[in-house]
Amino acid sequence: MFNLFLNENMKIYRRARTWMLVVLLVLTTIAFLVAQQYTVKPSQVASSDWRTNVQQQITNDQKMLDNLGTNTDRKPRLEARVKLNQYHLDHNIPPTDQTLWGNMLKASSLVMVVTVFTVIIAAESVAGEFSGGTIKMLLIRPTSRSKILLSKYLSTLVFSVLLFVILFISAFVVSGALQGFQDVGVPYVYASSDGILHESNIIQQAVSTYLYSSVQMIMIVTLAFMISTVFRSSSIAIALSLVTMFGGSSIAGFLAQYNWAKYYLFENTDLTQYLTGTPMIPGMTLGFSVTVLIVYFLVFNVLAWVVFKRRDVTA
Amino acid sequence: MWAFFQWIFMNIWYGLTLNRVKRLFQGGNDVSTPIVQVRNLTKRIGSKTIIDHLNFDVQRGEVFGFLGPNGAGKTTTIRMMVGLIGITEGDVLIEGQSISENFERAIVHVGAIVENPEMYKYLSGYQNLIHFARMVPGVTKDRIEEVIRLVALENRIHDKVRTYSLGMRQRLGVAQALLHKPSLLILDEPTNGLDPAGIRELREYLHGLTREAGISVIVSSHLLSEMELMCDRVAIIQQGKLVDVQSIKELIKEGADSQVIFEVDQMELARKLLAQEPVVDAQEKAEGLLMVLDREQIAEVNERLVQGGVKVFGIQKVTQTLEEKFLQLTGGEQIV
Repeated sequence: MFNLFLNENMKIYRRARTWMLVVLLVLTTIAFLVAQQYTVKPSQVASSDWRTNVQQQITNDQKMLDNLGTNTDRKPRLEARVKLNQYHLDHNIPPTDQTLWGNMLKASSLVMVVTVFTVIIAAESVAGEFSGGTIKMLLIRPTSRSKILLSKYLSTLVFSVLLFVILFISAFVVSGALQGFQDVGVPYVYASSDGILHESNIIQQAVSTYLYSSVQMIMIVTLAFMISTVFRSSSIAIALSLVTMFGGSSIAGFLAQYNWAKYYLFENTDLTQYLTGTPMIPGMTLGFSVTVLIVYFLVFNVLAWVVFKRRDVTA
Repeated sequence: MWAFFQWIFMNIWYGLTLNRVKRLFQGGNDVSTPIVQVRNLTKRIGSKTIIDHLNFDVQRGEVFGFLGPNGAGKTTTIRMMVGLIGITEGDVLIEGQSISENFERAIVHVGAIVENPEMYKYLSGYQNLIHFARMVPGVTKDRIEEVIRLVALENRIHDKVRTYSLGMRQRLGVAQALLHKPSLLILDEPTNGLDPAGIRELREYLHGLTREAGISVIVSSHLLSEMELMCDRVAIIQQGKLVDVQSIKELIKEGADSQVIFEVDQMELARKLLAQEPVVDAQEKAEGLLMVLDREQIAEVNERLVQGGVKVFGIQKVTQTLEEKFLQLTGGEQIV
């Protein structure tokens, strides 16, 4: 089994294409963060010193609170922000979005790029053996088909972890280069839904943000792997799973008005909805979402396994 | 005295080692059982029967051919034998192990190239061999080097397979099939895309394998002339059914061994002389007189002709080619 895993890794990392994806990921991270840095942010233009900016924001928010009138919806949010900013000033803690960590957290949306690249590798993993005819060579060895499929799946997941780590490290280095590393140790301050302020470890916060966004990645990669196995075509697998990812998540908001949509995959992939306490559809709980995710995960994998095990190889 | 004991001891020791070596070559199994037993092998897809109750054995150390027109079911049968395609009914036993029930224990005796030897083009030849070596227990680095030398790829083994010629890919294919010292080699259409030199090289190589290493070989082909040179026995299949299993010698000899052409100077005189013989029915052909004779009669006819004053320049047996035989067996369906 370990040998099979080594084989699959050899087939991934001995290809120039794989390393092109890695380089592309680093370049995308750099481009993304540079663009973020030099895009004008309305609330922060005033000064390079964060204290001035925060003071300015407090003044603005207070003005807005005074003029709010009957519109009370926004009141709690504005009050929380004032409180938070005041805390930053009182304790001399720069707000996260003015340190390198702000950029780090924004770069977590690049997990989507990691997903796309891993989908490419996942799609090629099984379908590539069929289109190249090497599947015949692979399946006439004294090894069960299940083990071969498992080693392919595991090596794909390990590749996604590699890209994930590369994204995290390069985002950290680039953010630091742009904003300086002096604020690397600041705590993360946030207001929970009841308006109470909390301080937490910023590294823990960054890692968990990245990990939360990896839930959707694992589901999409598993989907791509399944399609690759069932259709034996890497292009179909790439196209279908990316359409599912972009299309599927964009209609999640629309579908949220229907109660049955809580069984829909993309209502459940964002687990951060339970941190803020406002789930996509009322009545959903963390346990419910995790169960739905596990069911989808098992269905994808079992389908791939059954098809792969029974397939007549005529390629 | 000591020398005598030593001599006896040495003899016993050598005897044991020899036996062990022999057993190794024979795959550790009973020599008398066929290496492959195909029993009622059937493949149905939907209501269509593609392979219909095939039964045959392959003996140890023979080159067994699989002959049939395109679409007859050769490739399907071979794919069922190596577990790439599921078996609807019946079974294939390799070294006594069922390929459908005991896949891993059966396939470990098999080295195979199914159709083209497709390797990972983006890897080097050596990495390809490492890849397949890892999938079978007990293949050492030394064995890999040995196989590379055997197929004469030492100079190019670290180049990417993408840069290989077809002949080199074929050799790399043979190398991966031999890595784990299989007792059965299965080659599906191995001569496809090879030039005549390559085919000859492969043929000599296969003969070498069966003679020296005692490996059994199953080859499929639609090229009769090739099979004639390569195989000891052939199974002829047509539309998924086994038409016949025969040794090449029998196949060529049978029913056709007595057509003889006499090349003579005076055709008319010869005919007149032979007309007196009741059993001989001579036909005039461009090359000479053609008649159907057994061994003894050839000598008699020759004697009569010479005594009658006819000069005999040559006596030639006309053997029926495998192709003619094949057409006869399959009812005239054209192949190739």
